[in-house]
Amino acid sequence: MRIKSGSIRHRKKKRIFKEAEGRVGGRRRLWRTVIDGVIKGRVYAYKGRKLKKRDVRALWITRLNAACMMRGLSYSKFIHGLKLANVGLNRRTLSELAIREPQIFDEIIALVKGALAKAA
Amino acid sequence: MTTETRKIPSIKRRKTANHQSFALTVEQAAPCNKKWFAVDADGQVVGRLATRIATVLMGKHKPDYTPNVDSGDYVVVVNVDRIRFTGRQMSHPTIPYYTTKTAQKVYQRFSGFPSGRKIMTAADRLAKKPDDILMNAVRRMLPKTKLGRNMLMKLRLFSGPKHDHQAQRPAEFPTFV
Repeated sequence: MRIKSGSIRHRKKKRIFKEAEGRVGGRRRLWRTVIDGVIKGRVYAYKGRKLKKRDVRALWITRLNAACMMRGLSYSKFIHGLKLANVGLNRRTLSELAIREPQIFDEIIALVKGALAKAA
Repeated sequence: MTTETRKIPSIKRRKTANHQSFALTVEQAAPCNKKWFAVDADGQVVGRLATRIATVLMGKHKPDYTPNVDSGDYVVVVNVDRIRFTGRQMSHPTIPYYTTKTAQKVYQRFSGFPSGRKIMTAADRLAKKPDDILMNAVRRMLPKTKLGRNMLMKLRLFSGPKHDHQAQRPAEFPTFV
């Protein structure tokens, strides 16, 4: 007896069409273009999850640089000073502190400047 | 035969990071929270000044810089006609800070038609459209996006020592950028 995969395939297509919601034209309606778009979309999503980590770290560094520059220190000097002063805070926490708790960040800067002066 | 079963410490999957840290803040996006800065271009080197202006327009001088929001401040520049190019100083009847580069630097455009190449030296341009030089220098340093083009709206250039933004009370341009 020949078995067709009717209902199984229907279920699969339904799932994929659901994923393709919100797209334009045939990329939402037509199976051949929908399946392409969904697979490609998953590829981009995978890539995006990896890239996000780099992008956000770069953003923290940009923000930290601004916070350091207005206190008379460049980012690179700041990081060097952190190592000297044995401060283990990561860039994310530091940038958050610079935005939300500027006074605490001031203290960290003072600590770093002290360590830099000592090393020099 | 004894096989030692080493217990592998199970790595607990952490919840995805709370990404509030780069979300836009409403206050930041509000235009009323933007500052105004004034800077005198007299004798300043074009590119050196332009990078500083672009930094402020983008908001990269602030610790809460957010790339998807226009978080920058306004910049008022006076004396744009007295901008300087590097090079050996030469004398000129009208242009101050006339240097070898002012005479030699060429701005080119191409219209797309045969022989549609338009050439203008920096000296010509300074005489014809004094604010064009700095405006272009800054524009090309900003992101090439809609947001970038909107950022340029916050740059106000004036030839001569006066500007008409007294009402905004521009502060002195930050020295650290």
